[in-house]
Amino acid sequence: MNQQPGKLGIREFVSIAILMVGAKATEDTPAVLFRQVQNAAWMIPLLSAGIFFIPLFLLIKTMSLYQDKDLFSVIKKLFGKYLGFIVCLFIFIISSFAVSYDTRTYTNIIRSFYFTTTPNLIIYVILMVICAYGAKKGLQHVGSVSYLIIFYALLSLYIALGISTQQSNIQSMFPIWGPGQLEIIKLSSQNITIFADFFILTMVIPYVTSNKVFKKGTWIAFVYVSIQISVATLIFICMFDASLAGYAYPFHIAIRFISLGDYIPNVEIIFFIIWIMTAFIRFTAFLYINALMFGQLFKIKDFEYLIPSLTTIYLLIGIIPESPIDITLVLKPLIQNLAGPMFAVISITLWLVAQLKGEFKHAKNKNSM
Amino acid sequence: MQKTKTVCSLMLFFVMVILLTGCWDRGELEDKSYVIGLGLDRSKQEGKIKVTMLLANPEVGSMQGGGGSTEKPREIISFDANDFIAAKATANSVISRSISYDLLRIFVVSEEFARDPMFPSTFFEVLKDKEIRLNSYLAVSKEKAAQYFLKNKPRMETRPHKYFQFMVNHGIENGLIPDSTLFRYFQSAERGTDLFLAMYTTAIREKNPKIKREDEYMAGELNATGELDDTQFIGSAVFKNGVMIDKLTGQETRTINILDDTTNIKDILVNIPDPFSSSQKQFAARILKTQSNKVKMNLKGIRPKIYITIPLQFEIMSNPSRVNYRKEKNRQILRKHIADHIEQMNEDLLKKTQTKLKGVPYPLPLFAKKYFGTIQEYKKFNWGKSYLRADIHVKAEIDIVNYGKQTSRPKKVGE
Repeated sequence: MNQQPGKLGIREFVSIAILMVGAKATEDTPAVLFRQVQNAAWMIPLLSAGIFFIPLFLLIKTMSLYQDKDLFSVIKKLFGKYLGFIVCLFIFIISSFAVSYDTRTYTNIIRSFYFTTTPNLIIYVILMVICAYGAKKGLQHVGSVSYLIIFYALLSLYIALGISTQQSNIQSMFPIWGPGQLEIIKLSSQNITIFADFFILTMVIPYVTSNKVFKKGTWIAFVYVSIQISVATLIFICMFDASLAGYAYPFHIAIRFISLGDYIPNVEIIFFIIWIMTAFIRFTAFLYINALMFGQLFKIKDFEYLIPSLTTIYLLIGIIPESPIDITLVLKPLIQNLAGPMFAVISITLWLVAQLKGEFKHAKNKNSM
Repeated sequence: MQKTKTVCSLMLFFVMVILLTGCWDRGELEDKSYVIGLGLDRSKQEGKIKVTMLLANPEVGSMQGGGGSTEKPREIISFDANDFIAAKATANSVISRSISYDLLRIFVVSEEFARDPMFPSTFFEVLKDKEIRLNSYLAVSKEKAAQYFLKNKPRMETRPHKYFQFMVNHGIENGLIPDSTLFRYFQSAERGTDLFLAMYTTAIREKNPKIKREDEYMAGELNATGELDDTQFIGSAVFKNGVMIDKLTGQETRTINILDDTTNIKDILVNIPDPFSSSQKQFAARILKTQSNKVKMNLKGIRPKIYITIPLQFEIMSNPSRVNYRKEKNRQILRKHIADHIEQMNEDLLKKTQTKLKGVPYPLPLFAKKYFGTIQEYKKFNWGKSYLRADIHVKAEIDIVNYGKQTSRPKKVGE
């Protein structure tokens, strides 16, 4: 095969994207959505995907003007040196906080369900050290590993969801419109942060074999992930019904509840191991991309050496909130309400600026010449 | 350089090994005592509860072909506590090993405590404990839970976790007890529209109970004699908003279980009055439920109408009046008779739920949800009140798959 060394092929890229965004079905997202719109929660991922499609489409279109340039270079080129720097810094800060709070969420899950007496800090440190080690190895390694485990990750998710359907009742998804159509649309636009990771993923364009691969991979992962989150949410709604609002992490409650017959009653550990591997991949990729951003911002060429120090900073931010409640109820919604809409606005503005500057015409002329 | 690298990777390897022990959560089987059953009673002191723990000894029965230890298979300990989570620590003053709720299989609550309005607030603590699984069962005992565990001495299944697992599973398969997992309890309590059924059990046999039909008993009423356990699981306790309000007999529980598609009934053996016999003979039949019920509703108007179609397959197991089922006419009579019988039974029971229990003891309201566009409309409809006015029609679709062996009347001497 004609793979360039050090670059991601389509399958590696799609695996990373699916593991990064698809993992949201297994943390608190379904429960958060349920608290907002009750039994219509399964529509939100689909509708949000529909809404986020427009900025993402425009962004990818703009990005395709500049071959092998990442998001930050494009922003700087279009917005100018100073404004561009501020916008990039803003993106970096938001995504940094997102990483901190997401890793903290995962630590909370691990601690509350699996390692109940180990101090939070120890679990957090181990999680971060492993992710930092992976990120230090480089994106190529992350890609290979994610391609290795994606099959098992998805298979175990399907098995868990499949067994869960035995306990569920499809009637729970009614009344079909939940709190009303208007409410659903309003909240879908607020929840586009679910897909904000795709915006951040445009940072890795220079590491993907070609722009076409990136485009295709993003769309495959985008469509798949929106369906996966939606289906998972629907199954949790049908399984837990109204009590879903009371459970912070429905996937973990579900895998503790299901059993493979009378002789293998408690199976959550099988699912847990695979789930934790996807978590590692998710944060490894996140850390790498954040280091990449930092490197771009401050023109540091060997940004891979930044990863350990960045990881430490994220760890320190992540342990500030005292309890899991602060994270899920106060800090994460803050990031969620900010990140998605802001990324969408940036994408659209980028396209508009490119349009005004006549970059699309230039590209056309170049092609026709 | 090469040397340092090797040393470094070796060091890394050892660090990994340390992680494998599980840090603070390192656990040893030898050191654990697993609570299989947890009993909850009202305490003499206001605001406290009496916790009873049935602890299993993991060593007993774990070895194949004897050679096991001579230790007892179980330990029972009762004491007063504020809740059953902190009780774990208190119990350690008596029990030598560390106590874990990981394998908790059954909660036994005394009827007295279950009827206490304070019960849900105590019981909802279950959700806070991370070790308790939602697939453990909730049972209501006629006597005090502490007494129940002491009296319950299974002869064949000395290991308590196996005993409860088998007892409960077979009870659910026969439909005589409801599938009352904690999961369903909280689901029903959160929904707030339907009632919850918990299995009813007792370890004290009634003296001189009446002899009834095979499934009309409550726990303790079955007059079984011989060399046996006194514990009986039959019938159910009805919970409204998390508090027990009433009881259902085994037969009523079974009818509800047939109506409820979410439970796991397998095949049920019943007696049905024989239409061909002049004396009150009954024939035995096996009921198989292979398809789900169809529920249709018309919720407009003051009296909502609910149509329930129950598809059932029957196997006729006995034929006391020796009717010839080769004749089409007899078969039709039988089918009609069974359908009438089932419909009557269901409608009577649903009538009882409307008048006496004031709520439906299975997730029927879920089927009403699809007739509404939004949650606001559904809430306005107010299932809890509307159900009491509803007109319920039950239709049984009987399919007799097997008429049993055709035996001819034995010839009498001299005929």
